[in-house]
Amino acid sequence: MKLDPSFIWTAFVKLLSAVPTTLFITFVSVLGGLILGTAIALCRIYRVPVLGPISTGYVAFIRGTPMITHLFLVYFGLPAVVDGLSASLGWSFRSVSIPYIAFALVAFTITASAYMSEVVRSGLLAVNRGQLEAAHSIGMTTPQALRRIVFPQAFAAALPNLSNSFIGMLHGSTLAFTVSVVEINAKAQIVASTNWKFFEAYLAAAVIFWGLTVLIERLAGALEKRINVYNRGGVA
Amino acid sequence: MPGAKFDLAYVFDYFPKLLSTLNVTLTIVGLSIVLGLGVGFLVALPRLYKVPVLKRVSEVYVSFFRGTPILIQLFLIYYGLPEILKLANVDVTRTPVLVFVVLTYSLHAGAFMSEMIRAGVAAVDRGQVEAAYSVGMTGPQAFVRIVLPQALAISLPVFANLVIATLKDTSLAFSLGVMEMTGKAQTLITVGQHFVEAYLVLAIIYFVISFALERLFRLLERRLLRHEKTENADRKRFGRRGSPSLRGLLAESASLPKGGSGL
Repeated sequence: MKLDPSFIWTAFVKLLSAVPTTLFITFVSVLGGLILGTAIALCRIYRVPVLGPISTGYVAFIRGTPMITHLFLVYFGLPAVVDGLSASLGWSFRSVSIPYIAFALVAFTITASAYMSEVVRSGLLAVNRGQLEAAHSIGMTTPQALRRIVFPQAFAAALPNLSNSFIGMLHGSTLAFTVSVVEINAKAQIVASTNWKFFEAYLAAAVIFWGLTVLIERLAGALEKRINVYNRGGVA
Repeated sequence: MPGAKFDLAYVFDYFPKLLSTLNVTLTIVGLSIVLGLGVGFLVALPRLYKVPVLKRVSEVYVSFFRGTPILIQLFLIYYGLPEILKLANVDVTRTPVLVFVVLTYSLHAGAFMSEMIRAGVAAVDRGQVEAAYSVGMTGPQAFVRIVLPQALAISLPVFANLVIATLKDTSLAFSLGVMEMTGKAQTLITVGQHFVEAYLVLAIIYFVISFALERLFRLLERRLLRHEKTENADRKRFGRRGSPSLRGLLAESASLPKGGSGL
């Protein structure tokens, strides 16, 4: 087996067809995680009676276990729950008709929600309390103050963490190959084993991921610069 | 795909079986953290001291290992390293898989470690080094006695995160056929078809270890940072803490040290 540089390019082109799947998984899980995570973060910050402690435990548990165990627990546990539910409610829906990618999306959303809640929480805590008080003092209601005053500033403060988590989820999406979703890693495995050129195929996959990561970093950097315009300090 | 019916007895049955492979997981974590620290130092030094060409090399190294998924790196090194070594007439076909796994995790951790070291050293106030020089310390003395202890304390939380992240990443080593905890869980499943039980036990074990590690590091951190004054900087942050009472504010300001030169 000899190193075949030209096959790296062949593999690269073949792998490009799997990029949308990877990006889809990443975007959906980050977006879902952000929504869920914001709810969790608010529950914790406002110390909502029952939900607050539950959220704390949830975040600790999810962050303390590997992403792959979430995926496997959802993949093997969810069908039983769905089947039990539809049997007791008399639906004709069966878990066999759930596409594989749905399990990945659900599992990764759960993973992302825990990490995102920490991102959102740290962002919210970085906003000075006086901002909320000032908003109240000019007559805004709390939801108004949150939406107009606190969230924009929290977003700016959380952006670096957000892009980190986003990259983390991009890298984590490679795990979807274990539940037969054909994303970049699975495609690399297919290309590698059909041509018996493992090194070249994975090298191409690595290059794609590297490129995507650098792209996300750059975009986040540019966005950060733009969003922090208000925050330049000084007197001018 | 649907496995056997959920049976709590299996949860207890699987605990000792999975724990028996805990040492493999911890070996991978321990070795790759230690080796990763070494790699991290080597990679960080050219960037700290701005060595012309090496600086660029370590930048690319860090960017690559932080910019690609660990799973891809595992496969890349597992399949790629033997071929590269074959060019140098070194035969590694009989090397155990564990070596490749530890190597990958070390290189991966090394990239993050170098960033941690860089951030830690940068966070130490420049005046500290200058003060050390002014009392007559040499460069290495100032680094070892003044900068390093402070940098260590500052980067400890990052280090803790890295250790825990590595622990969780070791769950991917099964994809190369290493018999660590996740691999063991999968073999248990092929025997008994009790998917949920096995993964539940797996999750619980990982959680307990990472929780314990977190606590341990927090204790250590408190000990290392005992020279710092406790600042309640988050007191005035967003969040509902009840309206501050005048009495509370007075008590607080009374306990604060007075301004001035402190003489």
